Amino acid sequence: MILDQLILPWLLAWLMAGLGAYLVAVLDRWMATGSTQAGSVWLAPLASAAWLLTQQATTTEAPDAGAWRLAPALYLALAATGLALVPWSPTLVGVDLATSLVLWGSLEALATVVIFLHGWSANSHLALIGAYRYVALGISYLLVSMFVLIGVALPAESLRWTEVVAAQESLWHVVSQPLGLPLFLVVGLGLTFWGPLDLADSTDLSTGTAVERSGPPRLVWALARAAMLVAFSAIAATAFLGGWMGPWLPGPAWLLLKSLAVLVVLLWLGRRLPRLAPERCLTLMWVVLLPLSFVDLIWAGAVALWMA
Amino acid sequence: MTPSLATHIAFVVLAALAVLSGWRVFCTDSMVRASFFLLLSFIAVGGIMILLTAEYLGVAMFFMMAVEMMVMALFMVMFMMNPAGLNPMKMVHQERVAIVAGVAVFGVLSAVAVLGDFPDMPLPAEHAPVISLGRELLGDSMLVFETAGVVLLTTMVGVVVLSSRRGRYGRADEGSVPPGLEPGGEPAGRPKESEEEKGEEGGHAHQHHH
Amino acid sequence: MSWQRRLAARAPAAVFLAEAARIGPVRETLALVPGIRLVDTPRHASVLLVAGVIPTGWRDDLRRIHDQLPAPFASVWCRCEPFEALRNPIRIDVVEALPQGVVETHRELMLGKRDSAPRLLPDEPPNPWEGLGDDGHGGEGMMGGTPYGRPMAMNMQDDRRDGLTLDTLTFRLGPFHSALPPGLQAEVSLQGDLVQAWTVTRKPFAGVVEPIFHAARQSSVPIAELELARARHHLHRLYRGLWLAGWPTMAERALRLAEKLGPNSDVAGLRRELERGGLWRLALPEPGRGVLDEAQARQLGGPAARAAGIDADLRSEDASYRRLGFAPTCREAGDTAARWRQWLDEIEQSLSLAGRAARYDLKTAETAAVETPRGPWAEGFPHDMSDLLGEVLPELEWGEALLTLASLDVAALDPLPLANDWRTGFAEAKREGSP
Repeated sequence: MILDQLILPWLLAWLMAGLGAYLVAVLDRWMATGSTQAGSVWLAPLASAAWLLTQQATTTEAPDAGAWRLAPALYLALAATGLALVPWSPTLVGVDLATSLVLWGSLEALATVVIFLHGWSANSHLALIGAYRYVALGISYLLVSMFVLIGVALPAESLRWTEVVAAQESLWHVVSQPLGLPLFLVVGLGLTFWGPLDLADSTDLSTGTAVERSGPPRLVWALARAAMLVAFSAIAATAFLGGWMGPWLPGPAWLLLKSLAVLVVLLWLGRRLPRLAPERCLTLMWVVLLPLSFVDLIWAGAVALWMA
Repeated sequence: MTPSLATHIAFVVLAALAVLSGWRVFCTDSMVRASFFLLLSFIAVGGIMILLTAEYLGVAMFFMMAVEMMVMALFMVMFMMNPAGLNPMKMVHQERVAIVAGVAVFGVLSAVAVLGDFPDMPLPAEHAPVISLGRELLGDSMLVFETAGVVLLTTMVGVVVLSSRRGRYGRADEGSVPPGLEPGGEPAGRPKESEEEKGEEGGHAHQHHH
Repeated sequence: MSWQRRLAARAPAAVFLAEAARIGPVRETLALVPGIRLVDTPRHASVLLVAGVIPTGWRDDLRRIHDQLPAPFASVWCRCEPFEALRNPIRIDVVEALPQGVVETHRELMLGKRDSAPRLLPDEPPNPWEGLGDDGHGGEGMMGGTPYGRPMAMNMQDDRRDGLTLDTLTFRLGPFHSALPPGLQAEVSLQGDLVQAWTVTRKPFAGVVEPIFHAARQSSVPIAELELARARHHLHRLYRGLWLAGWPTMAERALRLAEKLGPNSDVAGLRRELERGGLWRLALPEPGRGVLDEAQARQLGGPAARAAGIDADLRSEDASYRRLGFAPTCREAGDTAARWRQWLDEIEQSLSLAGRAARYDLKTAETAAVETPRGPWAEGFPHDMSDLLGEVLPELEWGEALLTLASLDVAALDPLPLANDWRTGFAEAKREGSP
């Protein structure tokens, strides 16, 4: 019992977090075409990690000691918890709660808190601006995310990820709820503040919440951001692309491939678009995406009724 | 079903965390720290709820409290951002009243817990908390919940409208006046003002803005 | 030697570049070097690169930046005097040697062949603790006092956006902040993320243009070269702007274009990518933000003036340009978005002029009046206009303010040319580029 309820989820989550973060670094470098980066794509992330590990972890003048030390680790923990929720096959699930979908939602909400603490605790102005900019926008991402997730839970009549996947037996949600996946991808970029929605650690704030970070904590923060992106891709694959389902290959392989596809799309978008201006982003979220998520929810409900 | 040893240990740890972080709320000198200690306390309580197999309520607790405390902290930083809300501030006021009230409430609540006569009915095995919660929300209590929801939403919209400087007819501090029915005419839809009120137009507009 | 350090030595050298006065486009040169990563904050760097002449008043700020780098770190000095307190400073005066020198420094640091630089300042708060009251938190009630030099919240300023008055956060930025013109220091007051006030406390260092613009004041020069230098200047500014706008892919692309610039280069592809990616629709401030009025635009001159609809361009007074059918390109709006478009327009125009001029081998006819990329240089030359920022930036949101700042070339023009040998690469690039 201890083996499959404690050790297995733990191993699964951390393995995915570690390998996933590495993969994100490799893919992102590989996508930077014609890039100025030297060295092999495979070795470079490891070299950068080793460099950060040798570096001193600086501190600022009068930071909030607890939050300053804990925030990167907490974010990594949230990402790993998210990865533990992903069902790899009907039986291979790290944590199979009856409300695992809501738990994912609360991870998104807690991530907002942790990112805020990361910026706030530094006691430095640019980091602070990044932190509360993230929160101001994060609320709108959260709302969209919730409606999209409710839409996914409706046909399954359950808040359990395994049953959400099982409900896609006949038709994947990416087809039956066409608005869902695009909305969820935008939310994913927003919540992991990646690419065009990187408004917390952005260049106009000289890397925002991470502006005062150096050494191992900075490595942990970078790892956590990448792992969160992986968790998001895996959850998106679970919610919309039928998770483990597919012919020929075993379930976990399918999930891996689908998550990879989502991850590549997210990273590609990150390279392809400029960063949104925060004001425009807010308008986009509340005026365009939020109503669209209502439409998605109504659509999902109607389809669920019709199919039932 | 008797809880396992692990459950007991988890309960003790979570309960201690809830009480400790609850106590820290009153010792810290920053509003942001106070709200996040409170969040920690709530998360511990949510954990205890999961132990009590109220899974949905426990997880929903994480969710709701995270957003709630975050919004609270954000507003505090926005209005007290000196800088980053990290400069110490005194967080407790009227200690004596607070201590008396706290002790009294604790006494009453623990008396209820200790002396109260709780029903002793085990839950049916097929009981599903999400389903029963759904039935409650959309069944008998629907009217209450929906009314409360609509009232809250109206309040929120109202507050935004009242606090915004941008009005329907221009900025409030520049004298938000509806246009006339014909070009250059009297503002439409307004009762005729007496001469004396007209003289105080500036002050009038200013009141709108507050 | 541990495997970890050997691995770390293979990581790109993270460089924080402190640009000082009288130095050419060092940032642009280093940005394309494999094995070097330019970072925006000293906390992320392992090498501090100081390039250019540091005036006396700026040396203390540089010391403060020097001490912010996490150990192990080192500093490299290009065309300036290192601090006396440093034991074995690395001095590299030839710009071509910089990339290798910087990478080598990083390697030596990681492999332990070089000790980390010493700290120059005592590790203590720059301002004393001055909290008042019972618990050290403030004076009367909950407010007052200036703990660590920062006043407690006592804001009575009206908000400029929607009347929701927030507390003001005031801080200093610069003088070596990577998003500001080199040398500029500003005191910024923010309410939320809205710029409430922007006071320039130290003026930026005078900017330099390529030597050919100085040569054009002495004698007539080939128009093709002059126009290519102008296009390169604008591409470099576009690079900095795009970097700030969070689009490193495109920033790099602009820089690569600048590196290989010739009369046959084409900027249309870059423009198309920028439009398609939604730079104007998504990233830049909305139309009507960051507008210069006519007087301001006229004072600033150059592309900023032309973006505001003033068709002043000294090139139209030059007979050779007239032969090429030159007419100034203008935009009407005069806002931030228009200035960004103006860059692309002028690059396009310069390239087409360069192409035609190269065909006829035309030289400039005028030496008394030269239009530099920064603005007109006749009897007067572009002066420092950084005080303009205090008028334009308030009421903009932080990101908008920085993108607006990037679109404005407010530093004065350095009337003295850089020594010709500062970078031989320029001449080479030009020779390769021209047909």
